[in-house]
Amino acid sequence: MTGRRGGRPLVPAYLSTGGVARPSRAHLERLSVLTASGEPAPAELPAAQAALLEELEYGSLTVLEAAALLRLPVSAVLVLAADLLDRGLVLARAPIPPARRFDPDLLKRVADGLRDLKHR
Amino acid sequence: MIEVPDLAVGALALGTLSAFALGGGLLRSRRQLAAQRAKTAALRAQLDGTTRAFTFEVEHLAVRRVPAAARQAAHSHVTEPGPLNPQLAGSPLGAALEQVLKGLHAELAAQRTRIDAAAQAGMRGATREIQAALYRLQDALRGLQQRYDDPELAQTLFELDHENEQSLRRAQIAAVVCGAWVGLAREESHLVDAVTGGQARLAGYRRVRVSNHLAAGTALVSHAVEPVAIIVAELLDNALRHSAPDTEVVVNLEAVHHGVCVTVDDAGLGMTQDERARAQRMVAGSDPILLTELGDPPRMGLAAVGRLTRQFDLSVDLTSPSPYGGVRAVLRVDRHLLTRIDPEEVPPAASAPRSTRRAAVRDAGSGSGGSRPSHGPGPGPSDPHPTPQSGPSDPPSTPQSGPSDPYPTPQSGPSDPYPTPRPGLPDPHPTPPPTPAVPPHAPASAPAEALADASAGSDDSARSEPAVTPRIPGPLPTAARHGHDHGYGKEQDAEAPAPGHHGPRESDGLPQRRRRGRATAPSGPVAAEGAPQRRPRRPEESAAALGALQSGTAAARFAAGSNTGAVPAVPEGAPAATTADQASEDVHSNDDEGGTAR
Repeated sequence: MTGRRGGRPLVPAYLSTGGVARPSRAHLERLSVLTASGEPAPAELPAAQAALLEELEYGSLTVLEAAALLRLPVSAVLVLAADLLDRGLVLARAPIPPARRFDPDLLKRVADGLRDLKHR
Repeated sequence: MIEVPDLAVGALALGTLSAFALGGGLLRSRRQLAAQRAKTAALRAQLDGTTRAFTFEVEHLAVRRVPAAARQAAHSHVTEPGPLNPQLAGSPLGAALEQVLKGLHAELAAQRTRIDAAAQAGMRGATREIQAALYRLQDALRGLQQRYDDPELAQTLFELDHENEQSLRRAQIAAVVCGAWVGLAREESHLVDAVTGGQARLAGYRRVRVSNHLAAGTALVSHAVEPVAIIVAELLDNALRHSAPDTEVVVNLEAVHHGVCVTVDDAGLGMTQDERARAQRMVAGSDPILLTELGDPPRMGLAAVGRLTRQFDLSVDLTSPSPYGGVRAVLRVDRHLLTRIDPEEVPPAASAPRSTRRAAVRDAGSGSGGSRPSHGPGPGPSDPHPTPQSGPSDPPSTPQSGPSDPYPTPQSGPSDPYPTPRPGLPDPHPTPPPTPAVPPHAPASAPAEALADASAGSDDSARSEPAVTPRIPGPLPTAARHGHDHGYGKEQDAEAPAPGHHGPRESDGLPQRRRRGRATAPSGPVAAEGAPQRRPRRPEESAAALGALQSGTAAARFAAGSNTGAVPAVPEGAPAATTADQASEDVHSNDDEGGTAR
């Protein structure tokens, strides 16, 4: 962090959504991946939505990342993202599941097999 | 011889004469006495009258004039009655009575100031405590907002936060009117943040429309931030209060010769000449403020504005009517209170309206480039993507289609110009290549590492911490790839990545806000020709890529098998492992960063 970011934020989070915290779509999650759809943004887009869209201009982001970049709580970004989804400016994708560990047994067997091959 | 009768006659005559003389004297004295008496009586009557008049006059002074004078000190519209006898005005008595009233006035004024100061001190102490408590509450509420994102809870937290802001504003205003400090030290902030912050403190903040016509980065020096926010909040509060609930209050931020003007226009009733004059007197802050003069309940807004304008050398003007019919309030912030913040490093709050100037520059630039006009070397011309739509239409013909792919998926390895398995080198992790059906469920960080590897040729620092790449790329809907500029393509196109991009990440391990890569887009020929070749990968190509990977893996494994124990020179970040045992262990230690996807 740059150090200047500290301190009490001047603009409270509720202003970003106009006081709304219930997103118009319920399926978004913290790790949902947002991507700009490439549609041109209308001029009258609320500032916070425009800011979110601007962040997405540089690539896809999860809701959580967008929240960190915009310095907004996740709940506010969920509302913003849902609004942008409604406008068709953003595409959302279900969260990417965490990487699964490989089964150690299987790996051992593969390793054994390879060793077998080598010594043959 | 003298005769007896003559003697008697003579004596008689003498007696008579003396009797006459005496009688006359007596008469005269009696007359004098009567005259004296009459005079005395007249004088006494006159004295009585004068005393009575004096008494009445003093009584009048006590019963009428002194109370009226006392009341007049508080309410200037009360007229003070003159003396009962108008002729008294010039007399010494009249002058003495006037002196009484004058002394009373002076003493009353002194007492009022003293009492008001005491009241202000009491209120100052109380509001300071309240303000501090409300700030603590605000911290708690914001912490909760960050921690919980359940919509119902978040809604309640938003409402509480807003209520808290309003209470804070009231407490702060009361404190400022009572001569206290604004109560909060802020760091230098964007002016638009201060204005938006002020807007957020009001119940009707949704009716406020802010237009920001300032150059990006226009900021306030630290000690002016909170005063400007307070003043804007009060001006907006007045505007909202005195206009219909279905009308908007328009705020314009404009640069002027002496600094910046914040103009607040409402479409309300407007003010009469007297009201306007009074309001202007209040906001000028030249008269000392007495709580007792602010009414009941005290109207503190303009008084606080007055205090702040005087303390911080700001100026507020309420004299001109608004073109919307209401009041136009203009806050002028002079140049000595302004500074600049790099909007790239410290961007304004997300809710703060973006500068209209930037949009203008942007339109003039290249449609999508030029994020902030005054930063970065030439936003428009150096942008290698004049129109995002031109990208997908270009047919891919060179191997550079690999790096320009914005979403390097694991199977794209061989077609990468910086492929993870270098040709001729044994693959350190001989794992079976993932099938193309996997991508949506691929380990989250695997593509990130692939990206880091891809850019490793030019930036090794990215390679050292591949897992903290801020983006999580992945297969995306084709529509997203078409016609949209993505940061990945940019980063990989760049021979040298945007200077600020990886720099901050090296300073500490925390994720950083990215610098806007677009402004510092590379303009080299490689970038120029690599960029437009982004397009969706066809299944056949994916199959070919996978085949290449498989054959490469097989070749490498064969090579590794032929000289056991030889440690191949592999780049850092891809731990060397030649024996199968080590490989399996490495897989265990690396799978969190997606090493298995290689």
